[in-house]
Amino acid sequence: MNIRPDYRHAYPVLAMLIALVTVGLTVRYLLVPETFGEYGYYRAAAMDDEKAIQPRHVGRAACLECHDDIAAIHAKDVHSSVECETCHGIGDKHVKDSSSPMSPADTREDCLVCHRQMDSRPGSFPQVDLEKHYKFVGVKDPSIACVKCHSGHEPLYLSKDLHSARLHPLIQQCNSCHIGRTDETLKKPDMHPKIFQCDYCHADLAKSFAKGSHAKVSCTACHLFIKDNAFSGRIVRNTNPKFCLLCHQKSAFKETAGKDNAAPPVIDWPAHITDVSADTPDPKRPCVECHQDQIHALYTKEAHHAM
Amino acid sequence: MPCNDISRRTVIKQIAVGATGTLLLSLFPRLSFGNGESSGKTKNAAGKRPLYAYAVDTSRCIGCCACMRGCRAENDVPKDRYRTWVERYRVLSNGEVQVDVAANDQFVFQDPPPADITKAFFVPKLCNHCEKSVCSQVCPIGASYETPEGVVLVDTKRCVGCGYCVQACPYGCRFIHPETHMASKCTLCYHRITRGLLPACVQSCPKGARMFGDLHDPLSHLSIFMKQRRYRVLKPEMGTKPKCYYVDLDIEVI
Repeated sequence: MNIRPDYRHAYPVLAMLIALVTVGLTVRYLLVPETFGEYGYYRAAAMDDEKAIQPRHVGRAACLECHDDIAAIHAKDVHSSVECETCHGIGDKHVKDSSSPMSPADTREDCLVCHRQMDSRPGSFPQVDLEKHYKFVGVKDPSIACVKCHSGHEPLYLSKDLHSARLHPLIQQCNSCHIGRTDETLKKPDMHPKIFQCDYCHADLAKSFAKGSHAKVSCTACHLFIKDNAFSGRIVRNTNPKFCLLCHQKSAFKETAGKDNAAPPVIDWPAHITDVSADTPDPKRPCVECHQDQIHALYTKEAHHAM
Repeated sequence: MPCNDISRRTVIKQIAVGATGTLLLSLFPRLSFGNGESSGKTKNAAGKRPLYAYAVDTSRCIGCCACMRGCRAENDVPKDRYRTWVERYRVLSNGEVQVDVAANDQFVFQDPPPADITKAFFVPKLCNHCEKSVCSQVCPIGASYETPEGVVLVDTKRCVGCGYCVQACPYGCRFIHPETHMASKCTLCYHRITRGLLPACVQSCPKGARMFGDLHDPLSHLSIFMKQRRYRVLKPEMGTKPKCYYVDLDIEVI
């Protein structure tokens, strides 16, 4: 006898299972967002949400479109690694509407954010102890803004593009001395030329410099040393008159050198250049053309190699 | 009621077929996998999907905190919360290490009490965008995730603000946003880097102490930098495999 199996008892269970699965799938469909799991356990569209945010820093290239004159000056001086927006604030509004102001970045605090003297700043980075600096250049008004003398775009008025400056030969060319040298000095680090001590090699210049009026100024104040990396650096000899005027320009907020103070002598510029060369007053004429003897003896190859 | 016509053999056979089928189906890649929109499909110059990473040359940092200002302006970071910050370390002659942060509106370091200092330096910090990010692992709803480009992000439409990720991050890089009450963190400026721009902190840094790049592009600035320099990561013992590499990191920091 062939008995057909009776499945009736299973129908409610089956119905319940189907209902459960349907409810489960519906709940899952409602709860799990679209694009979830495309790349991993997250919503792939969240990346698009993040991408949709509009950038607010516009970058140097956008500034350059209108301010190419300033950008050209800025690119050659020591602040060339500083983005416009680092000092002037974000420019998203300004590029859309030029009447929307940027920060002028002309207060003393704006400069001191980077240049305040701090023991934790790298030693090679220029830092200012205000009291000492004002005494050195003879500033009598301590509330004066840095930008009265130093332009933020070209703080040192370099006479030459920083990046085209020559590499210091000693730092660049170890091999020029080290190849073919077999004597004992090669194995004695104590006898190595003190390459970061200018007077070690340039003794003749240092001697005449110490007698001159600039004796308390460091060599690298005018012969700027820019470290490219740990092994090489560039020397920029700054002969721009504007650079000399940082100390020697006559200003209402500066002391005029007297007998009892050590402030640098100041001159009235550009009246001075018309006074001394009335026929061809060239404001770009380097001060050292006339004043070299007050600084140090001229560098000559003969003297250097005779050393 | 006996069911004589279904033998034990048939049942076992059917179960075996079913199990094998399920197994095969589960192994089969989902049709939608990796088929999304542009996200994660971005290609770099070498034709590969980029892997973004970050490097910090601590010896270059001057502690001006331009990065913190840049980040706040770019990302509307709320007051008293930081997506990136600069720590100042001062090692005193008695061995004591003092650490502080310019945690004020101007982001200016306060004058510390005078002390006999052996050495002092700055260390910029930010999200390490770990390869095995703990914060993403602990998120119960998949609101914290790593993009295929290696950036750790928060899904601002899903986050419920439970704060597990804030607790989990060994580097303290996350916070709960006081207004949205969701987790918030450094996005490596995902909206900028996917447009080919630099993160705001990298762009703001006047000394080039912060570097960003694509590790899958052998000619990227970062790849070259990492070939030339020796670097280390923060808290390597955590096993999080951070992708923020530090050059000249001192023993006090790790």
